[in-house]
Amino acid sequence: MPPLRPAAAAVVFPYSVKILIVEDEAPLRTTLLDFLRHGGYICEIAENYEQAHEKIKLYQYDCVLVDLTLPDGSGLDLVRTLKADHSLAGVLIISARGSLDDKVQGLELGADDYLQKPFHLAELNARLRSIIRRRQFQGQRHIMFRDLTIFPDQTLVLVKDQPLTLTRREYDLLLFLLANPNRVLTKEAIAEHIWGDDADMADSFDFIYTHFKNLRKKLQEHGADNYIRTVYGLGYKLETA
Amino acid sequence: MKLLARTNRYYLGLSALLFVLGTGVLYTGLQHALAHEVDEQLQQQRTYLTERIRVTGALPTITMPQELTIDGPTRSESLRDTVIFDPVEHEAVPFRVISFPVTVQGQRHWLTLRKSLLETEDILKVILTVMLAVMALLFGSLLLLNQWLSRWLWAPFRHTLKALRGYQLQQPQSLVLPATPIDEFSELNQAVAQLTQRVAADYRALKEFTENAAHETQTPLAIMQAQLEQLVQDPELPERAVGAVQHVYRAALRLSRLHQALTLLSKIENRQFTDGVPVQLDAVVQEKLRQLHDFMEAKELRLEVGTLAPVSAVMHPGLAESLIGNLLQNAVKHNLPGGLLRVHLRAAALEITNTGPELRTDPMLLLGRFRKHNAASESPGLGLSIAEQICTYYGFRLSYSFIPAGALHTLRVTF
Repeated sequence: MPPLRPAAAAVVFPYSVKILIVEDEAPLRTTLLDFLRHGGYICEIAENYEQAHEKIKLYQYDCVLVDLTLPDGSGLDLVRTLKADHSLAGVLIISARGSLDDKVQGLELGADDYLQKPFHLAELNARLRSIIRRRQFQGQRHIMFRDLTIFPDQTLVLVKDQPLTLTRREYDLLLFLLANPNRVLTKEAIAEHIWGDDADMADSFDFIYTHFKNLRKKLQEHGADNYIRTVYGLGYKLETA
Repeated sequence: MKLLARTNRYYLGLSALLFVLGTGVLYTGLQHALAHEVDEQLQQQRTYLTERIRVTGALPTITMPQELTIDGPTRSESLRDTVIFDPVEHEAVPFRVISFPVTVQGQRHWLTLRKSLLETEDILKVILTVMLAVMALLFGSLLLLNQWLSRWLWAPFRHTLKALRGYQLQQPQSLVLPATPIDEFSELNQAVAQLTQRVAADYRALKEFTENAAHETQTPLAIMQAQLEQLVQDPELPERAVGAVQHVYRAALRLSRLHQALTLLSKIENRQFTDGVPVQLDAVVQEKLRQLHDFMEAKELRLEVGTLAPVSAVMHPGLAESLIGNLLQNAVKHNLPGGLLRVHLRAAALEITNTGPELRTDPMLLLGRFRKHNAASESPGLGLSIAEQICTYYGFRLSYSFIPAGALHTLRVTF
């Protein structure tokens, strides 16, 4: 087993991405920090509204992760401040309130996405990446991974410069893996990413198995290396080397 | 019946009674007084005539035969009523008659004096007419007065009623009722204002409680989930630990899903959703069918979309998705392999039909919480109760029917 490597080496961003994590719960904050740093992001943290407010006023971030319920204020006000300052930072709301109205309000205020607690770290990463891609590359973007090149705008996948035809689900799975290289993605996280609320339907794990089998077969037929590994009992992992 | 109509009815009854009584008393009183007056006049004439006969010693000359007869048929001293036919007027006319004897030059004569009562009857008629006119006038003005009073005096009451009708618990500002100089209404307004304030405070407390409960539970679950996901990244994790971690991880996910469903249920029950917007239900159905496509394909279900009319309902978009999602999920989940899934969306109702074994229990029991067809299922069995609650919330009706031919179960939402 190779040591964990920063994912930035695998999925190339042109420059380092700076993220502010606003979360008052210490265990969750440290887990997020740890997780995102391993993912190759430069991270800063804010424990409460006041700290967060100061930081977004002073520094420029590529993306801000905002918890809505803070001990000394509302995360929604941070979103308002960012938007009032015409900040270029993307905003991802993470909230335990799960209230549909909060979600609507957050998105109306200009947040890019909303993730309800508890969430899968892999899902957080996938959303984060999609926000950063949207904000930074403005149309001209592609993802490179070993012998793969992917143009998310055109849903085009090239293996060694040869186009690869994938089903919608296979493509979604591949993109989800690419957002989280070198991480074990649990079947549960994958199912929820693909099917959302319907993820607890009985057959979803079987589908994941079938889709992965087909995806691997297609990659192999095009001469790609076998970098999708099954982690027994847990899920799947995209290996960078 | 309106309060005003009812008061008017009592007023009218009482005044009619009083008028009848009053008119009766007045009539008899007047009649009595007039009769007395006529008698007195007749007595005076008698005294006058007797005196003149004594002085002149001769019978008076008869100028009005109707009023004075000498030696008529009456031969007794009396004062009585009689009716005489008037040949000019061609009608019977009532008279008061007095008969008395006089002695002229030693000879006894009987004089009869008469006085017509026609005039007194006329007077009575006039009085009655005047009384009736006064009564009508009084009634009329009473009605008008009451109408005006009700429009003017009751205005604060109607205002309070309107404010109460338009009052919604969700609105942040409390009910403000204008001051009124009438004690009863101002007391009513005070009581209403206090009541709404108390209810609003209770509602806010409940809402905060559900939100806090959600927050306080989901946060530790989020920590657990994140930590466990980090833990399984560790390549050094011993294999026997993997199983345990996986179990804990799944349990945490299940708990979180259960909690989300219960929070949603209590939020619907507590009516904590803001006003709806028009939602295109056909689009929601299509989107949900697309999301469930994998599951339908795996079961090789036959999808029949009969009618998919462009139906719009004013709902919270999240609840519309939840309602349709839960019903469709249910129809897929409990379907037989190779079975049928039929969807009809019309302006009046949404019908979702699926094949499946006949239910052994009362189908409406499945709407209860934690009712599952398959006890081992990992889903908490709240889908249909959520659907039912959403229906209740929006005044829709959720009904179930079963057709044994083809074993077709239908859930119907009547809008």
